[in-house]
This record gives sequence, structure tokens and C-alpha cells, in this order.
Amino acid sequence: MMDANRKSRIRKRLTDWALTGLLFLAMCIICLPGLWIVLNSLRPTVEIMAKPPVWIPRELSFDAYVAMFSGVGQGGIPVVQYFRNSMIIAVTSTIISLAIGMSGGYAFARYRFRFKGGWFLGLMLTRAVPGIALSLPLFFLYARVGLIDTHAGMILAYTALNIPFTIWLIDGFFRQVPKDLAEAAQIDGCTRWQAFWQVEFPLARPGIASAGIFAFLISWNEFALASQLTRSTDSKTLPVGLLDYTAEFTIDWRGMCALAVVMIIPALLLTYAVQKHLVSGLTSGAIKG
Amino acid sequence: MKLMTSASAGALILAAATAGGASAQELPGSFEGVTIEAKLIGGQQYEALYNRLAEWEAATGATVDVISKKNHFELDKEIKSDIATGQLDWCVGSNHSSFAPQYPGIYVDLREYLPEEALADFVAGNMAAATLGDRLVMLPRAQFDVSAMYYQKDLYEDADNAAAFQEEYGYELAPPETWEQVADQAKFFADAPNFYGTQYAGKEEAIAGRFYEILVANGGEFLNEDGEPAFNSEAGIEALNWFVDLYEAEAVPAGVPNYLWDDLGQGFASGTVALNLDWPGWAGFFNDPEASKVAGNVGVAPPPVGSAGIRSGWSGFHGFSVTEDCAHPEAAASLVWFLTNEESQKLESAAGPLPSRNAVWDHVIAEAEGDAYRSEVLAAFQTAAETAFAVPQTPSWIEITNVLYPELQAAILGDKTPQEALDDAAEEATMVLEDAGEL
Amino acid sequence: MKAWRLPPHIVLLMPAVIVLAAVVLIPLVLSLYSSFTPFRLTRPDSIYQFIGFRNYERIFTDADFWIAFGRTVLLLTIALNLEMVLGLGLALLVERASRGQRLLRTILMFPMMFSPILVGFQFKFMFNDNVGLVNNALQSLGLTDQAIPWLIDGTLAFIAITIAEVWSSTSVFAIFILAGLMAMPREPIEAARVDGCTAWQTFKYVTWPFLMPFAFIAMTIRSLDVARAYDIIKIMTDGGPAGRTEVLWTLIARTAYSDARMGMANAMAYVAILLSIAFTALFFRQLGKARAQVAADW
Repeated sequence: MMDANRKSRIRKRLTDWALTGLLFLAMCIICLPGLWIVLNSLRPTVEIMAKPPVWIPRELSFDAYVAMFSGVGQGGIPVVQYFRNSMIIAVTSTIISLAIGMSGGYAFARYRFRFKGGWFLGLMLTRAVPGIALSLPLFFLYARVGLIDTHAGMILAYTALNIPFTIWLIDGFFRQVPKDLAEAAQIDGCTRWQAFWQVEFPLARPGIASAGIFAFLISWNEFALASQLTRSTDSKTLPVGLLDYTAEFTIDWRGMCALAVVMIIPALLLTYAVQKHLVSGLTSGAIKG
Repeated sequence: MKLMTSASAGALILAAATAGGASAQELPGSFEGVTIEAKLIGGQQYEALYNRLAEWEAATGATVDVISKKNHFELDKEIKSDIATGQLDWCVGSNHSSFAPQYPGIYVDLREYLPEEALADFVAGNMAAATLGDRLVMLPRAQFDVSAMYYQKDLYEDADNAAAFQEEYGYELAPPETWEQVADQAKFFADAPNFYGTQYAGKEEAIAGRFYEILVANGGEFLNEDGEPAFNSEAGIEALNWFVDLYEAEAVPAGVPNYLWDDLGQGFASGTVALNLDWPGWAGFFNDPEASKVAGNVGVAPPPVGSAGIRSGWSGFHGFSVTEDCAHPEAAASLVWFLTNEESQKLESAAGPLPSRNAVWDHVIAEAEGDAYRSEVLAAFQTAAETAFAVPQTPSWIEITNVLYPELQAAILGDKTPQEALDDAAEEATMVLEDAGEL
Repeated sequence: MKAWRLPPHIVLLMPAVIVLAAVVLIPLVLSLYSSFTPFRLTRPDSIYQFIGFRNYERIFTDADFWIAFGRTVLLLTIALNLEMVLGLGLALLVERASRGQRLLRTILMFPMMFSPILVGFQFKFMFNDNVGLVNNALQSLGLTDQAIPWLIDGTLAFIAITIAEVWSSTSVFAIFILAGLMAMPREPIEAARVDGCTAWQTFKYVTWPFLMPFAFIAMTIRSLDVARAYDIIKIMTDGGPAGRTEVLWTLIARTAYSDARMGMANAMAYVAILLSIAFTALFFRQLGKARAQVAADW
């Protein structure tokens, strides 16, 4: 009996180690391309392109970052404006699409109406339209109403891009929140509105948080529409700015990597920060029927 | 040199003084309160010039509003969208000789707004390529592109190499004069996967353009007199065979069908390629020890000659145009002139790009005196520029290259014979031209 | 007397419908119309010339188009399935880690922070045959002395693109499935264990049915969003060489902008949209089934 116990304990420990090792390996694979970009932003092109390859960097410098913020002609690009545009557009469109997504998701999760499935599918399918098919007609429309190269135009486009997505996610999470909870609150004298904010919203918070992360990351990284709808530093976003490092014949690989790092850091910080809400939402409101 | 500058400045003053009537104006002129919207090509090598916008503003009292700054291909997309939606009331746009024929009628004839004297100093070949029909649609800036052959010098100085080469090919090893010699030497130097004889950009307009220039150098025509595709000729097969042959011999990297210009430049700078036909923009990069492993070991020769004794010289250049819908075409034309005048071209060419004005050519050559590498570069490119030619002036050029390059790739990769590939491409190109109403 | 009011669900759905109509539906109607014209960007007048179904007729007889179509379906099928399996594995691994959850989850989402266009540049470079990271590593480790033409050979290029796509999108599955795992009630698992189920049985009969809706949400969202792969492929190979990696989106984009033949491109785009709808409808049905299952079990 003792022996069997010990055997199974050893086996369990071995599996544990193996699985932890596997997890470590997987995380490395995920991180590798990112680390490689960081590394390349710090070393001269001659080393990036070296053959035979240089595995251990010989000289590291922040030249690319310094150059990025320098003036025109010294390798500078308007990174501050791009950053500002990206931030304004991504944050605003995320907030709006979360609000719209919450109202839409709630409607689908809590009300019965005719052709509900059809409506839902219809809304979702708007996302199926490839950006490349949408970009020109949208440009036509925007040109008519003067939304080209404006923050408002980009925000509107990204909101539309994210709504199907947020509705879906939030609907899914509202569905997991038992109906009787809100009903109980209403019996206790809450209005439907109060019941929503006090009972259902906190429970659906993880869903809203992850919908928010998704919406933000999509808006932050989108390229196809942005390249068509933005034109100058008034609204150009960071992904479009990446192309500033490509010319007709050349790519400044180091500069591009540096801008990529600048692009990734805020997304990383935000994701890390929102994790907390995701976690607390999940642990505080264990979802039970 | 000083004499020359002041001489041409004098000519300009003279021009301004003697010019009269509606067709000419004083340059840069005075346009108090006018705002000129401009779409400019962005990117490191182009932007130093834009610092001069403020000078023009100060001289004329006008304001320049840069409403778009993108790389070349994105700008092309944007201008096409503008044409489609009729949004052409911005005034000044960056243009390129290879793309200009695609924008029919949206740009004014600059001769109507600028005195003849102001246009006199430009290199004749550039002006010819900037003229569509009888309209001068753009003024070239100092961003003239034609290729020259970069090579690793020490390979040619090595006595063992020379003897072995002489033995194998029966002539002396020296930087290549002809396309055939390029092929011989590339195969001789190649040692895949560590070292390659040469390389070529294997997709999109890049390979179509290279094919076009070898075709012309071999005495072939891309489009015949009636405007029909004629590249599936014997000269065309010979040209395509050059690519196929090198690929099969592994004298070029196996990845070339997916290479574009940046891959070539980085490849040569990595020191793993012997010969590299490439653009003037790389000259400084290749010889910069910070960026390139072959720095100090770079030789430059004029582009090779084909079997018909014609020197290759596919060329193109950037310039500026003024839209038909522009509300202040005089002011816009003044800006275009200013950005391409002698001072502007000197500023741009100081960083390496080739000028498109005779006086500036003289200036950069004089400046390079004492710098052996720079002199060698300029001599090679000047030889190239003398016989350079632009792409066929059809609005469908880019579209034809899009049907041509997959066929060229198919032949290179052995999916089709060169004859089949070119016949198929010619058939598709005919369809393109028919659809466009050009045939 | 009670004032007449719109039913609440209509009020709640109104903003979504308005925004989507403005940004998606109206442009789609425009492009549907233009797919019946020989519209060329550089000749705006051509939009008023009606040519009926000629663009569609051409597409249906164009072998290149159908090859690209088939390749797109294949890419979607392989990539989505791989992403789901890997995503599930990752989620399970991360969930059982006792420490560093926050860090792990952030790393898990790391690839989502890369703009697809950046993923394209990065993998194009890594798979470069001459100076790329992959070949350099293989050669340094002595696994090969060849320069493997990753982006040239049709199959290898397909694999390279799939790797890039899987790398960038597995996170979506992982994070959804992880969210499902964390939302999952503990009791059924405890109960299963008490009943003497093996780990595999517990997973198969308890955990997985509960996770199914999450996996299918991820699947559907990915299939909706999969045209994002366009940015990656565009940079890595742009459909080449010799059309060996051509997918619908690269074909559409080239026809639309480089060739400026927008009418034709829009016709192609409609076929691509139908494909997306088919995929989405399929997953949607399965999602419905999975949901019903969960509703019945819990």
C-alpha cells in the first residue's frame, strides 16, 4: 500500500516536471520572435544580416531609438504623432464598441424576439467581409462625408470592426450568468437597470475585460483599413508608420524593429494591467447555476 | 564649378527677366496667402529635401500643407483611389516615371506654367521620359535610378581565381562587360549555400524590369510598333534563359524568386554575393563599415551589354507633378520647380542619389574628386545614365508586369519552358491591353 | 396610459445595427454594384457601364482563381485545427501552473500584440533562405548544409505561412479556452474523480463538453477574422512565386489596386465573402449544438 502510494507520488511528480518543462518550452517558442525583434532593434544592420550568423550580440546600442525621435533627415519619423493617433483611436473605439457590445450582447442573452438567430448571424457576418474588399467602397463613402484622414473616421471603422466580436463575447458571458440572479434582485426592489449594474455586470466582467483586450489589440494593430483611410500625421497609426521604414528599394530593419518594440510595449502593459480585472472577476464570481 | 553655378543662376535671372506673357512667370514668384496641398513620397532618403519647403514658403508667402506622406506603393494606391473618387483638388504630388502613365490626364503640362529656360538644364533623357504624349507631366528631382554592377574587388585581384577562370572559360577574369560574362563569372564564383555568384530580384515589377532591360539589350522589343506584346521573341527567350540558367546552376540563392530590392542589397552587404546589379542608393551603404561587410572591397562597373551590343539601362526617377484640379497651378508649378532646382538637387545628391540636371552632375563629380570610391561609383552610373531608357509608356505597364512575373517565375522554377512561359504571358498581356482599350 | 415605446431589445440593438450599416452594409452595396461593371480606378467613368455577370463568368472559368480558392480553404482548415489543438494544450498547461499565472497569461497573449503586418515582416525574414534565422540555426546546428528555400518551394512556403499564422493566432484559442477553464465549476470534476474516472475520462466527459462553446466561439471569431492572414501572406510571399502560395485575398488585392480593376476584384471578393459565410455558418451551428449540450448538462 505504502509502496504503491509512493510510486504514484513519484509518477505524479515526474509528470509535473514534464508538463512544467513543456510549458516552459511553449512559452519560449511564443516569446522567441519577440525577443529577436528586441535584439535586432539594438544592434547594427550588419550584424542582423551577418553570414555566418552572429548569435551572441557584440555591440548593443539604442541608436535606432534615438534616431526615431530625431528630426527629419536624421532617421526620425513622427513617432509621437503616430503614437498619439493610435492611442486615441484604439482607446476610443474600444470603449464605444464595448458599450455597444454590452447593450447588444445583453439583448441577445436576455430577450426573446423573432428571427433572433438570423439577426445574430447577420451581425456576426458583417465581420466576415475581408478588409481588402471593404477598404475602397468605404473610402468612397468617407470621401463623400469628409471622414478621410480623421480620428473620427478611424474610430467609426474600428468600432464597426469590433462590434460583432464584443457582442458575441459579452453575450456568451451574460448567458453564463444565471437569469434568476437578476430576477431575484428585481424582486428585492431593484430596477432592471440597477439589477444589471449590481448583479449581472460584475459577474460578466471577465467577459467584458477580455472583449476589451481583444477590441483594443485589433484596433491597435489593424493595417489594411488604416493604410487606406489615413494619409498624414493627422491620423496615421503605428502599423502604417512601420512602412516609413520601407522605401522603394530598402528596408531599415533595425528601425522597424525599434518601432515594433514601441508598438508592442503599450499593448503589453495594458494586457498585463487588465489581467487583474479578468482574474478578480473570475475568482470573486465563481459562476454557478 | 562656382562659375557654372553662377552661370546657370544668371541664366535663370535672365529667364525671369525676359519671360513674359501668360505662359511664364517669375520664379519662385509671390503667392501671398495661397495654400498648396501636397502628397509627398515619404522615407529617409526623400525627406531631407522637404526641409526646403520652409524656404519656398518664406520666398513666396504661400503655405505648403503636406496632406499625405507615404511610401511609393502606398501613395500609388492612394492616388488611384483619389482618381476613382474625383478627389484631385490637392495640388502637388510625388510621381514616378514608371507609374506616371497610369494616371492619365490628371496632371497639367508644366511647360504651360514654367519658362523654357527654367527647364533647360535637365538631362534630356529624363525630360523625354517625363513627357507623356506632348505633356511634360512632371519635373524630375535628384532621385534618378539606373543600375550598375557592384562587385567584390578582391575576387578579381586573386591570382588563383584568375588562372582558374582563364582555364575554364578561355578569357581573362575582369569585371563583366556583357550579360554572358556575368553568367560565366557568377557560376564560377558560386559555392551554394555559403556564397553566390550573383542574384536578382525575382518578383513583381523588379524581375519584369530586369527582364525588359536584358530583352532590349539583346535587341528585342517589349511591345511592337502596334503596341502588341512582342517579348516572346527569340531575344526574349535568350533573356529569360539567363535567369533560368543561373537559377539551375545554383549561382543565385534559391530564394531569389521571393527577393525584392532590400533582399539584394542586404545580401550583397552580407558579403555572400560576388556580383550585384543594383541601384545607386546602395552605393554608400555597401561601403559603410557600420552597415556592410564588404566595405572597402566594393568595385562598381557600368551595367552589362546584351547580345545585340546594347547596354542595359532600365531606369526611372522620382519627380513632382501638379494636378489639373489645382486651384493655384502657378504657385504649385513654382513649388515643383523649386524642389527640383539646382540647389535642391545639390542638397539631395549630396547624400548619394543621382541628379537629373547637367549642372548638378558636374557638381557632384567635382565634389567627389579625391574620393576614389565615390568617383568610381559616379563614373559607372554616368555611363549607365547616358544610354538609360525608361519602361514602355503604356498605362498598362504595371498591370502587364503583374501577368508577366508569375510566368517568368514559372520558367525559372522549371514549371514551364521559357517559350511556354513567354507565350502565355504574351497572351495574358494582350488580354490586359485589350481590356484597357489600348489594342 | 402607458406611452408607446420600442421594445427594449430593439433599443439595445439599435446602435450596433446603425454603426454596422454605415461602415459595412452601405459600402458592400456599393461594391456589389461595382462588381457588375468593368470599373477601373484610373477610369472613374467606367463605373457607369453595366456589364451584367461578365466579371463573374470570367471568375468561374478562371482556373487560377479556383486554385487560389482551394488553397485558401486548405490553409483555413489546417491552420484553424492546428490552432485549436495547440490552443487547448496551452490553456491546459497554463491553467495547472500554480504560480505566475498573470505573467503566463500575458505571455500567452503576446503574439496578439504583434500587428499581422509585423508578423509578416518578421517571419519573412526568419525564413529567408540566405541570411534567415531558421536556416542559420539549422546550419549552425549541423542539421543541414543546404539553404532550404522556405519561401520558394510551394509546400515549404505553405508550411512557413501556416507557421506564421499559427504562431500569431493560437493565442486567441488559448485565451478563450483558458477563460472557459477558469469559469468552469469545480464540483463536476471533483464528482468525476470521486466516481473513479481517469484524468482522460474526466477531461473527455466533463471538461471538454464545458469548453466546447468557448472553443467554438474562438473558432468562429477566427474564421470571421481570418482575412487578417492577408497581411501576413502579402508580406511573406504575396502569393508567389509563380502563384504557388496565391490565396483569394492576395489575388483580390492585386487585382484591385495594382491592376486597378476594382469591378473584377469586387466580384472575387463576393466569392470570398461567401466562403467566409459558409465557414462561419458551419461553426455557428456547431456552437449552437455545443451550447445546448452544456445547457442540458448543467
